[in-house]
Amino acid sequence: MRYVIAGYVVVLTLLFLYGVQLVWRRRRLNRLVTQVEDSRSSDLAEAGPA
Amino acid sequence: MTTNTPVQSPGVMWATRVIGLLALVGTGLTVWLGLWVTPPDKVQGDLVRLVYVHPGVAWVALYLAFGLAAACSLLYLWPRTRSLFWDRLAAAAVEVGVVFNVCTLISGSIWGKPTWGVWWAWDARLTSTAVLLVLFLGYLALRRVPAEPEVRAKRSAFAALFAAVDVPIVHFSVLWWKTLHQGATLLNANLSPTIHGSMAWTLLLGFVALTLAFVWMLLVRYRIGALEDYLGSGELDMALHDRQSEGVVADPTPEALAVVGNARAPAEVSR
Repeated sequence: MRYVIAGYVVVLTLLFLYGVQLVWRRRRLNRLVTQVEDSRSSDLAEAGPA
Repeated sequence: MTTNTPVQSPGVMWATRVIGLLALVGTGLTVWLGLWVTPPDKVQGDLVRLVYVHPGVAWVALYLAFGLAAACSLLYLWPRTRSLFWDRLAAAAVEVGVVFNVCTLISGSIWGKPTWGVWWAWDARLTSTAVLLVLFLGYLALRRVPAEPEVRAKRSAFAALFAAVDVPIVHFSVLWWKTLHQGATLLNANLSPTIHGSMAWTLLLGFVALTLAFVWMLLVRYRIGALEDYLGSGELDMALHDRQSEGVVADPTPEALAVVGNARAPAEVSR
């Protein structure tokens, strides 16, 4: 039974860690995009209407 | 200046969450049924419980992930359907597929030790699956070589199609060669499953749960690819350059440079 438990633990842990890593990467990139967008919109606001 | 922010629709976000939740519940149920509810097998004993996971991860890696990557690559190479959407989807499928392929090899190896007496055998099924992993790792390495998006997409598509040739070899390896690995339980030549009752339902549930997990990972990974492409396409460079010229930002943050560096050549980043 220890081989069975080991198999489940390894597979589920790998998939879980990969999933967490995906969520972390997505959040980080979303934050960066927001920063870029905020920076751009403040630039446009400073420049005023063309 | 045109902006091309990769906005995700609320519908897709909602669907991603629901699929993720269903995958979690399905996987939990599979573990519960597989470890506590189903009976031990007459021949394999408790080791049969690994069968509720191992074929599921193999199904996702071989047929869903790498199959999808090959289909997307074909659609990219076909002039009428050429779009970077297919390239991004193929890249997402391969990355997720590689993780599932690693799970396939590890869970198979853990099953093989008490059954065959060895962790690894140079058996046709095992070897062709390991070759598949190496081929798609090569695909991921190729994607990291700096190039214009179209050039990268084209050579990646060819690489994916080349690697995908191994998928039918893995599938038919148990028929073409004398192997230690058992034949197909569900998708055998007679299409007559050799597993029944609660064991069959648990196996099927495992397939469904892992398929949902794959779809969730694919959606999230696709989103990451879209965001990376957006940031690497010069939008971030332009914004940082503007801020630098105004003295608002002293230097691009290492975090931003790291993201841009994934998609562009170092010379282009420092420009």
